[in-house]
Amino acid sequence: MASSSSSGLTFKLHPLVIVNISDHYTRVKSQLSLPPSLTSTSSAATSNNNNNNSNGGENNQNPPPRVYGCVIGVQRGRTVEIFNSFELIYDPSTRSLDRSFLEKKQELYKKVFPHFYVLGWYSTGSDAQESDMHFHKALMDINESPLYVLLNPAINPAQKDLPVTIYESELHVIDGVPQLIFVRSSYLIETVEAERISVDHVAHLKPSGGSAATQLAAQLTGIHSAIKMLNSRIRVLHQYLVGMQKGDIPCESSVLRQVSSLLRRLPAIESEKFQDDFLMEYNDTLLITYLAMFTNCSSTMNELVDKFNTTYDRHSRRGGRTAFI
Amino acid sequence: MNSMEGLVTQIQGLSSTASDVLMLQNLLKQANDSLHAESTRLLPFLDQLDPSKHSLGYLYFLEACTAGPITKEQASSYVLIIARFLSSCVSEQIRLASHKFISVCKRFKDQLVLLGEPLRGVALMLTAIRKFQSSTEHLTALHPEFLLLCLLAKSYKTGHSVLEEDIFEVDQPKDLFLYCYYGGMICIGQKHFQKALELLHNVVTAPMFAVNAIAVEAYKKYILVSLILHGQFSTSLPKYSSSAAQRNLRSLCQLYFDMENSYSNGKIGDLETYVQSNKERFEHDNNLGLVKQVVSSLYKQNIQRLTQTYLTLSLQDIANTVQLGSVREAEMHVLQMIQDVEIYATINQKDGMVRFLEDPEQYKTIEMIERIDSSIQRLMILSKKITLTDELMSCDPSYLSKGCRERQKFDFDDYDSVPQRFNV
Repeated sequence: MASSSSSGLTFKLHPLVIVNISDHYTRVKSQLSLPPSLTSTSSAATSNNNNNNSNGGENNQNPPPRVYGCVIGVQRGRTVEIFNSFELIYDPSTRSLDRSFLEKKQELYKKVFPHFYVLGWYSTGSDAQESDMHFHKALMDINESPLYVLLNPAINPAQKDLPVTIYESELHVIDGVPQLIFVRSSYLIETVEAERISVDHVAHLKPSGGSAATQLAAQLTGIHSAIKMLNSRIRVLHQYLVGMQKGDIPCESSVLRQVSSLLRRLPAIESEKFQDDFLMEYNDTLLITYLAMFTNCSSTMNELVDKFNTTYDRHSRRGGRTAFI
Repeated sequence: MNSMEGLVTQIQGLSSTASDVLMLQNLLKQANDSLHAESTRLLPFLDQLDPSKHSLGYLYFLEACTAGPITKEQASSYVLIIARFLSSCVSEQIRLASHKFISVCKRFKDQLVLLGEPLRGVALMLTAIRKFQSSTEHLTALHPEFLLLCLLAKSYKTGHSVLEEDIFEVDQPKDLFLYCYYGGMICIGQKHFQKALELLHNVVTAPMFAVNAIAVEAYKKYILVSLILHGQFSTSLPKYSSSAAQRNLRSLCQLYFDMENSYSNGKIGDLETYVQSNKERFEHDNNLGLVKQVVSSLYKQNIQRLTQTYLTLSLQDIANTVQLGSVREAEMHVLQMIQDVEIYATINQKDGMVRFLEDPEQYKTIEMIERIDSSIQRLMILSKKITLTDELMSCDPSYLSKGCRERQKFDFDDYDSVPQRFNV
């Protein structure tokens, strides 16, 4: 059901929505994987969000739970901007949507954000399913053409893009029967400054319990991969320009203009004072690294000398440890 | 004689491929004694062999020739033969008979010394070393011979080029001692006192079960160079020196220790009287030149001490404090030190004031970055080597037997899983 949409709408997705969905999913999943004795008591408390609490005795062997919620935002002309989201109670087996809850939430959000409308709904999973259509139709009374935002929670290290897809519904005639099916649409990510800061913060969160050394290593790894990515992108651009110069690739002046504007923005600072300070800091870092290497080397050397002395020195000191000179 | 001719033809025949050469080596080993018996008559056979192709065979013959005592007339002809051999021999073949090669080179050096022409041998020995060593980090028995020739010929620069390389593998401990000692002397000759100090330090702290004469001589020079360079000298040896050295060297070099005492007072007069009174003993050790350099370095040390107290000082005051003769001399000394980058100062000639400055290095330049970067790279390589050696050492059975036995008795507060008795 995934051909591309033909509605011509541009979708802009804010990171807040993605963070919300993933948070919702993680919470539900972690509450589900409690030990069996606790699950039965907690399942009563978390019955709103738990879709699989009938299987309270098991933990992670279950298929991962699906979470549902609503996305809200603004539609201006042909641009649909999804700003925020909230959770909903929905049971796919009984197909019951808690309408009162939905309306209460809508009212609350309307008070704070008067411009936002319910644009659609979200869920988690690897692909859109037939059963999702019911939810979709249920929302159609609030919004004639709701959106379906799907987040794939499986972690795939090889994947480079975000595992988020936006589906729209279109009426297609299949086998003579008009049916609503989901079609995929492309979207852009749009950030506000506050969101950028929080995303940055989340990206740098490392599992706690690491010592200072592992935290430093993790931070440096992050910087390293960022620089590596920057380097590879510049290389791609460079190859493209070289190809254009040689004539293999047809000249595109719009791309050339963009590249030249990018280049003219750099270097950001080019003053003597900056150069001075920069070199001094560079030198300081190098000196500290040098010092660290020295210390490392001397400690290895010291151990080696100790071993050598114990082995070969006929009159080595007995008793107690030799002091580190 | 027939056997000799037979041997020659075999050498000529079997010197082409590696397997043939190995066969040839066995044959030659068996024929070694007969070669030595005929040593006086082997000379004409050498002409039949080509040193570049038949290096191994040539080497055996040559070694047998030069094994006996040699007179001065014979020496010059032998020198020519050996010189030709060294310049054209093939490294793979000579490495198969390393002892013979070393003894040939030693005889070569002896003959040159006998003839009084060490300079002829310097370049040849260098080529011999390059062909013989398996890598630049390998110290062979030829290195000290080469350095001795350089010293006798006073060609310090060539010797210095060999000293630049780091050594990680040594064949015989005596080689190391001699190498570092001669190397130290060459560096002193070139006034590279820092490098000389390092080399002499190596001799003094090298592992030894009993103190040897080389170490004693080296220690004397070490004290003197340390005084020239740093103006002070630490009386205790570092902990990685052998206990034999730590206990015995001091008593053997007491003369120099006392010199250090009078040096540290800073009074030229005392030092000079001390030197004068012990002149014969210094001469006996061939250290008189070095001792005189120590005396002149005392002025430098005193001026250096002044930089730590004063910001500006007049030349007259410097001359008075350091007990130099005149203002002229003081100016000369300060100028020399500024040129050698030992102090940072400016001399104002109008009013004869000297201003002492800080080290102008700001550590902000790109050259400094490159320097530090290359140092870090070198240090990383060195660190890897040391870690490797450390691991090798940990697996050494003698270490395990000794180390574990000791720990069992005394480390109650630091119990770890080292087994109590290590049966190796």
